[in-house]
Amino acid sequence: MLFHTWPFLIFMLIVLPVYFALRRTPLWIPWLLAASYFFYGWWNPYYLLLVVYSTTLDYLLVTLMDHCPGAGQARAGPLDTVLRAALGLSAGLAVALVGGAWLGPAPLRPTLLVLSALVLLMSVGAFFGSRRIWLLISLVNNLTLLLFFKYARFVVENLNHVLVWLHVSYRFADPSTLMPYGWSYVLPVGISFFTFQSMSYTIDFYLGKVARERNILRFATFVCFFPQLMAGPIERAKHLLPQFQAAPPLGLRNLTDGLSLFLVGLFKKLALANYLAVYVDRVYSDPAAMDASALVLATFAFAWQIFFDFSGYTDMARGLARMMGFNLILNFNNPYLATGLGDFWSRWHISLSTWFRDYVYIPLGGSRRGTLATYRNLFITFLVSGIWHGANWTFAIWGVLHALGVMLTRELERSAFYRDRVHPLVKQAWVFMYVCFAWIFFRATSLSQAGLVIRRIGGGVWSNPGIPALMLLLVCLVWLYQFAYESRFRGLLAASGVRVTLAACMVLYLCLCSSGGGTFIYFQF
Amino acid sequence: MPPPAAPGSEVPLGVNEMRLGPRQWLAAAAIILACALGIPRIWKHAAPLETGPDYRIPYQLSKDYWLYQWRLERIAEPAAAPPAVPVLGDSVIWGEYVRPDGTLTHFLSRETGQTGRFLNCGVNGLFPLAMEGLVRYYGESLRNRKVVVHCNVLWMSSPKADLSAKKEQEFNHSRLVPQFSPRIPCYRADASERLSAVVERHVGFFGWVSHLDNVSFDQRSIPAWTLEADESRPPQYPNAWRNPLGRITVALPGEAEDDPDRGPRSPRHKPWTAGETAAAARFEWVDLDASLQWQAFQRLIGLLQGRGCDVLVVLGPFNEHMVAREQRAAFHKLRDGIAAWLAAAEVAHVVPETLPSDLYADASHPLTDGYERLAKGICRDAAFREWLER
Repeated sequence: MLFHTWPFLIFMLIVLPVYFALRRTPLWIPWLLAASYFFYGWWNPYYLLLVVYSTTLDYLLVTLMDHCPGAGQARAGPLDTVLRAALGLSAGLAVALVGGAWLGPAPLRPTLLVLSALVLLMSVGAFFGSRRIWLLISLVNNLTLLLFFKYARFVVENLNHVLVWLHVSYRFADPSTLMPYGWSYVLPVGISFFTFQSMSYTIDFYLGKVARERNILRFATFVCFFPQLMAGPIERAKHLLPQFQAAPPLGLRNLTDGLSLFLVGLFKKLALANYLAVYVDRVYSDPAAMDASALVLATFAFAWQIFFDFSGYTDMARGLARMMGFNLILNFNNPYLATGLGDFWSRWHISLSTWFRDYVYIPLGGSRRGTLATYRNLFITFLVSGIWHGANWTFAIWGVLHALGVMLTRELERSAFYRDRVHPLVKQAWVFMYVCFAWIFFRATSLSQAGLVIRRIGGGVWSNPGIPALMLLLVCLVWLYQFAYESRFRGLLAASGVRVTLAACMVLYLCLCSSGGGTFIYFQF
Repeated sequence: MPPPAAPGSEVPLGVNEMRLGPRQWLAAAAIILACALGIPRIWKHAAPLETGPDYRIPYQLSKDYWLYQWRLERIAEPAAAPPAVPVLGDSVIWGEYVRPDGTLTHFLSRETGQTGRFLNCGVNGLFPLAMEGLVRYYGESLRNRKVVVHCNVLWMSSPKADLSAKKEQEFNHSRLVPQFSPRIPCYRADASERLSAVVERHVGFFGWVSHLDNVSFDQRSIPAWTLEADESRPPQYPNAWRNPLGRITVALPGEAEDDPDRGPRSPRHKPWTAGETAAAARFEWVDLDASLQWQAFQRLIGLLQGRGCDVLVVLGPFNEHMVAREQRAAFHKLRDGIAAWLAAAEVAHVVPETLPSDLYADASHPLTDGYERLAKGICRDAAFREWLER
């Protein structure tokens, strides 16, 4: 279900009043959970099982972790009753699953074997009473889901290419052959988001940063809260879970604030992102036929398209949550006004970049172990971040480009000369240009296409690119708005009359010129 | 990498925030409502809707239901007696192969001696399921007046034409058909599309926007119009730097004086027997009781009668020459079944005789002479005369 469709409006017209009515009863959390599961199941009810599975397992693992001695503490006395029960159950289940895989139907065999390995690992964890093993199981489980659905085909294809190159006749089977009955091999929408969110909870609990959530319904609502389930922002347990402890106070202000955010997001998606997408898709579908000017402008247009698309989704998600009284974290902060690449990453997809900072970069050592190690850690973090976006070498190169950019300019950005002597507009321009250059790889369907685009930009013909004046006008107006908001004219934009006029114009523009539906770019990640 | 957020720090609403309070939202809603209600009304007053006696909605505006609604409202305005009679139907009424002065309504007016008495309210491809939707949602002004409805049995000539086939298919005027109930098996639009069709029917402003797109932007939205490209490599964008506001016009496109596709001088205007497919065709006539189109037609008649309209149904004439000899009994059974229901429901109706073979262009569309002969035949019919005079 997409936010900008009529079914979603009906969904909200049911969910919101019932939620308000149930606020003073214990049923408000089950209601939010049911609404979230319905929201996800609307896309594919089968894959809802994945969300339920991932949620249940992580809840269980943290519960078991809670029964183990803390980090650095030795087990005192015999095994805890819960752990003993877990050991018996998991060992029995593992045997049953292996038996099922041995005797059961062939299409279920791979799934049962993977599950039996996981359950076996659980019995080892229960036997040793080790928090580390429970954490490992959570990571293995979440990452296996992610890797299988997102990267298995890419890996298999690449391995098979290598086998061909080595003249080996063996070929790995397509991952779709491993799917159980009735399941098709498609990327479950939002898998990268809900697995990361769930994983952050188990890691934070392991590190002692959050308390165990005893209510499974509350934890499940945290994992699949519908506004941010499909494409984030990726919330942390310590920020969102406490908000689910008690129903937030009902206020008209929440509703109007939420509506304001939602309208801005809707406008970004329907009026801007979808409009830009038509031009970008046309140019990138046949780059060999395009002039350099069209390719440059399409790349700039893509930079804005992806920003409007993703930040539009985030605004809508945050607006919906705000209507219900919840605060989701800020995900974008004028990224194209960044004055350095490091600054860009503190403004773009903030919830993901902080996730990688906290769970990849810092565990690797962060910047604590010298310059070379810092660069290595930065490189690994950006590479992983690139690969997170999709199973294609283009995303890996995109991550590498950002890693190289940040590494090469890190010292420069810290220098007094850059900080004080270079005009902010120059810094913003170069950051924007570099980010756009990297977007070429992000948007291209293959490395060869990205190479073609760069070659044609470098040596191609410059002629009328045919970009519509209306499109340029809209993007310039948004840019101007952003600049004005950061300037002394901010007060003017905050004037009541200006806001009312802007809101009315946005709604009327959407009615008159909306560029149709279309899904969100980040749903594919 | 961004610095860690301070614990407990309040999350800002957003950057560049455009936060409206309750009063501001009310003010914005008032502006939006005023525009949504006011603009279409002002448009109707400001824009000319010049309709001569033989006016028909231009072919390219066949899906401009707002224009159709506007036209019916104009018809409903008090005018000289006797009041004009709208004739509803598909392209048989619109006149697929003929010029405006070669249509059934033109000849009916001529035969009754009252220019402009019968108004061409036909729309291309308007099968009964869509006609029901058009009248229900855009034909509110059809009240307390005589109305002629054409029944074209072609829409019951196969499960595919009847839309009762299970295989998914795309068809014209899908936004007019019932979106949820009764269920149309071959219509597989998703919930979003169905709901958007329902909303468009009930919110006149969206209809006006669609009219604007149809009339001023070549049936495209404004952004799509600015991005219109030709087939060349690289594509050329003729509208990229044109001012969309300059394109907005209140004038409606008229019918070309020398339309190469229509009229006696058009190469398409020829008897079906002269074509390469002039052989008897096999039809898979649907059972009347199971026909979705027939059920819709019945509901349409009930709807019009419920609005106080005095309805006359013209049934056919289908090109029976085209029906294989062994299938004619099935065809007659279908046609007679319709006539029997109309008689039982006390709906005035005329079942014209099949025209000579060379007066048809295809299975259901007569040629100009065919329309003339058909009009004469209808006017001679006692049921028609009685209906017209009462």
